[in-house]
Amino acid sequence: MDGASSATAESELLQQASASTPERTFRLKRPDRWGAFAFLLAALICLPIAAVLLQVGQQSESWDHLVKTVLAGYLKNTLILVAGVTLIACLMAVPSAWLVTCFDFPGRKFLNWGLVLPLAIPTYVAAFVFYEGPQAAIPFLVWVRTNWGIDAFLSFELVIRYGILIVMMAAVLYPYIYLACRSAFAQQGRAVVEAARCLGDSPRQVFFRVALPMARPGMVAGVALVIMEVINDYGAVHFFGVPTLTEGVFRTWFGMGDKVAALRLASIVMVTVGFLLAAEQLLRGRARFVEAEASQIPLSRVRLSGWRGWCAMLVCLLPLLIGFIYPVGQLSRWAWLNLTSEAGGSFVAGQAIARGTGLAAVTAMVMPLMAALFAYAVRLRENRSRRFLNRVAGLGYATPGAVIAVGVLVVFGTMDRWEIGWMPLVSGTLFAIGFAYIVRFFAIPLQFARAGMDRLGRPLEEASRLLGHSPMATFLKIDLPLLKGPLIAAGMLLFVDILKELPLTLILRPANFETLATTAFSLAKESRLQACAVPSLMIVVAGAIGLLVMNRWLASPTSND
Amino acid sequence: MKPTRILTLLGAVVIGAIFQPVQAQDKELTLYTQRHYAFDEEVHAKFLEETGIKINVVKAAADELIVRLQEEGENTPADIFMTTDGGTLHRAHQAGLLQPMTSKAALEKVQPPLREKDSHWVAMTRRARVIVHSKDRVESSELSTYEALADEKWRGRVVVRSSTNSYNQALLTTIIDADGREKALEWATGVRQNMARPPQGSDRDQVRAIAAGLADVAIVNTYYIGILETAEEQKDRDAAAAVKIFFPNQDGRGAHVNISGLGVVKASKKADLANQFIDFLLSEEVQALYSENTFEYPVVDGVPLSERQQRWGEFKADDVNFSVLGDLNAEALKVFNEAGWE
Repeated sequence: MDGASSATAESELLQQASASTPERTFRLKRPDRWGAFAFLLAALICLPIAAVLLQVGQQSESWDHLVKTVLAGYLKNTLILVAGVTLIACLMAVPSAWLVTCFDFPGRKFLNWGLVLPLAIPTYVAAFVFYEGPQAAIPFLVWVRTNWGIDAFLSFELVIRYGILIVMMAAVLYPYIYLACRSAFAQQGRAVVEAARCLGDSPRQVFFRVALPMARPGMVAGVALVIMEVINDYGAVHFFGVPTLTEGVFRTWFGMGDKVAALRLASIVMVTVGFLLAAEQLLRGRARFVEAEASQIPLSRVRLSGWRGWCAMLVCLLPLLIGFIYPVGQLSRWAWLNLTSEAGGSFVAGQAIARGTGLAAVTAMVMPLMAALFAYAVRLRENRSRRFLNRVAGLGYATPGAVIAVGVLVVFGTMDRWEIGWMPLVSGTLFAIGFAYIVRFFAIPLQFARAGMDRLGRPLEEASRLLGHSPMATFLKIDLPLLKGPLIAAGMLLFVDILKELPLTLILRPANFETLATTAFSLAKESRLQACAVPSLMIVVAGAIGLLVMNRWLASPTSND
Repeated sequence: MKPTRILTLLGAVVIGAIFQPVQAQDKELTLYTQRHYAFDEEVHAKFLEETGIKINVVKAAADELIVRLQEEGENTPADIFMTTDGGTLHRAHQAGLLQPMTSKAALEKVQPPLREKDSHWVAMTRRARVIVHSKDRVESSELSTYEALADEKWRGRVVVRSSTNSYNQALLTTIIDADGREKALEWATGVRQNMARPPQGSDRDQVRAIAAGLADVAIVNTYYIGILETAEEQKDRDAAAAVKIFFPNQDGRGAHVNISGLGVVKASKKADLANQFIDFLLSEEVQALYSENTFEYPVVDGVPLSERQQRWGEFKADDVNFSVLGDLNAEALKVFNEAGWE
């Protein structure tokens, strides 16, 4: 399926190239280096994904078997999780975003940024903290069994486990929706909200009749990201014994050895996620239109005093409590127990982790620059083919990590087999895994670079070009310095995402190479929770710092503090 | 200094640190392993001390490592492939990824089926997958075979981990081999229906569930009992004390025993060093260390069992050919799928 689309892309590109040749002059156009660069980079990123996906059409031994036996279960579990997590996450995010932007109450300033923090907790880390929940419920379940019989017991067990998993995932993922809603409430609605207020609407009426409908595009964008995370999750669902499609991919591929069937499962994931991403982009596009007219003057907040103020605080504090304060508290306790115990502090492989973290840092520094160049190349000539390249370059974000990992293995293995003299072997090196990170996460810095450029507008760049500077000089002297904020924010997010990444790193890592995530995961797999808390806590702290930097950049132009 | 310059400098330092020449030195071996025990690192350190050979480790799931070895082909950095499942070793051998070993210890001290007949792989430890039961609520006399756990009598009283786990897959292949596919499917369906909760967690969690009163019997590997008995947390030691090990099928084919084992990667250019490592692992001293520290059973005859293992008791082991485990693995997963065992 991908072969066809990239072929049309190529022909489209050729057409564009011939169409853009000036008709009036006969002078040959200089080769478009920017276009070539964008095309090459996008092609490189697609290569591993295409290498794997091209095999979807091959014969599969066990596909029919999967359809008959487990596919329905995978789909059902995935749907239950998606629906449950979306619902709970909205309930956590929307009211708190509304309260924080429109009202003043005790603790508001802290909550305004504090509510973003749960994003710093990877779902698999949250999972082993919250797995204590089903364990703690065992005495209750035993009571149910002795008094109400086995069937009641079995259904209670199911409800408790799914319930805890859903609430837990919602509590660490809701910030995506919160961020989207907060900026929607703050930017779009001021004039309308004030008009509604003047016309005598109560705060509640304003929320349901004005603010909520207007925040919908932003909300849907946030929800799309949440759903994507849920569908792509690998660690948490495994821990809780809720097999979803992604778990099915691993199981079919590595357990049954049926690559083709696994890829078909993966392509269900990818098509769903791709569809969600497209929806997100569409809705964000519309939201931007409204944003353009938004006023920069902050909304005047209504002061909530007395019990109303405390209630508001509670509503906002609850998601933070579940999604950040409790897990961090528990992790800290375990880490403390581990570090003060006899064998404590003996960190498995300090040097290996240093290498993993170093690679994450380098990748996170290089990628934003590449993304800025790419975004600039797209922007130089914003035609259909370049926009297509832009979308293709972000494809890895919708692809399960295991698929990318195997794609990279295939591509580099083939390259190594050619044995080109001057080229060193790349399989199993840091280069291979670094490249895989680029494929997987390129969408993030690209988004930031594009958003940053949109925010800059074109006047400065046009002035520079009119004054005779080349695109490259303009990029280096004007765009790059002005994009520093978003690029640093993107780098921080990337660093955190790479530290958190699990499936891809597990498959591709070279010898003596560990990231904080793989260390935490293998300790958790051995149920050594106290030891596991140390690297987990480090991921969370790094993540929280990254988020705060990003949050500052997001908040800065419309800061209402 | 300007921030950009600091950044550049930092970048240079980090890049330098990462790409520091990791030249393949002569005195180094690269190990692709599925084992993830802290004690293995101590063994590697001991090997380094005795021979000056450093072991570089890549840890991942066995099947992921096989895919990786296949894709890396001739240029793989791997010298040794190590798993916790005989079936996976067999599949790696079927895929042509291993070369015959020359290790004297392997050839002399370990006999088939613990060594592949043409010596492409050899076992380093043995691990029994058995039934454990609550000391309070179940008498040993109520138990007999794996097959009997499918009986109606155990409804709501069994816990086992997920079928994604290779230990369960291996166990099921032996049941398919012994009783036939149809009976095996009936068994898996029956056990699944008897479970007190859908499969989840690790073997340890199953023992904890029995201790907490959620279930009465579980299928786990024996060494997990050892791990819990020596755990840091009192709760875990109590959990281990609440259960008893039962070796099933003693009147028939014996309890299911799998192996952890290793082979020399075909593309390795350091087969000599790799065989030296195998000699080391099969030495009486290291075998006894494994029995003491990871609670796995030794593969070399004459190595005494640790005191703990002697307390668990002697037992008859199912001496199934490990090629069965490898050949039937995909079939076993299908049976699990059909039985609804997640």
